[in-house]
Amino acid sequence: MPEASTPTPEEIQALVGHRFPGGNYTIAHWENFLLTECTGADPLPGDLAHPVALFHMPILGAGTSIGEMFALGQAESDSSIGIESYEWEFFQPMREEHEYRVEGEITQADRRIEGERIFDRIAFQFDLMDEAGVATARTTITWHYRRSTQA
Amino acid sequence: MNVDVGQDIPEWDMPSVSAARMRTMAAILRDPNPVHWDKRVVSEIGFGEHTINQGPLGLSYMVNMLHAWTGPGSIRRIFMRFPLVVLDGDHIIARGQVTAVREEDGVRYADCDIWLYREGSANPLEGSATVQLPQN
Repeated sequence: MPEASTPTPEEIQALVGHRFPGGNYTIAHWENFLLTECTGADPLPGDLAHPVALFHMPILGAGTSIGEMFALGQAESDSSIGIESYEWEFFQPMREEHEYRVEGEITQADRRIEGERIFDRIAFQFDLMDEAGVATARTTITWHYRRSTQA
Repeated sequence: MNVDVGQDIPEWDMPSVSAARMRTMAAILRDPNPVHWDKRVVSEIGFGEHTINQGPLGLSYMVNMLHAWTGPGSIRRIFMRFPLVVLDGDHIIARGQVTAVREEDGVRYADCDIWLYREGSANPLEGSATVQLPQN
């Protein structure tokens, strides 16, 4: 990705409330199989999807991408992103070959200075609902966008 | 299923974190971050000739531990922080301990501290989880 200039703290704070387009996503069998294999586990029984799908599925289902999330925070490079935390909540198990409605938004965004370290902390929240509109899962992704200079 | 506060969760072992699995994961996730598939980039940022495991993959080892303990579909919540990176070739063990057992509306839950252990290092991942316990 092209190198970006450092955004101002105000530009970062203005990201709060940004909503992604939203959309639908179905975890395909092949996708669940390969994801589960990546975790080192055997396939789960029946049509259960491995919970690890709760990372990429909401991102793609909400109509965005990891790359766009990097760009929204004006990341200096793809490798300048660090993870603060992931929170995954399951209200019912996720299943492969079931269509889910996904909505997402930025819930927190602010400039942090810790010693000589400058970064922007951005939290993204995504909600999954099943075909009946019942809440299935929620994920909150909190990333640090490291800055080499202060705005 | 009898569960007590302070009880250790049976650990889940990943003998060697796989760079090939990181590449598959990056493709499925459409993850442009080269630290998961380009050793040159990782070397330039000081971690040697390795690739860095995706955060969700590290978290998934904890999921696998919890599934082996209380069954697939039992996880209600996981919160995870990532103080250190996990590299390809690392021997990682998912561990956990029960911090509370409670009942809500006739359903029993266990709250747990969970972490990834790596010999000779601080824990690369640390967090907490809530699982629904099977009926006795």
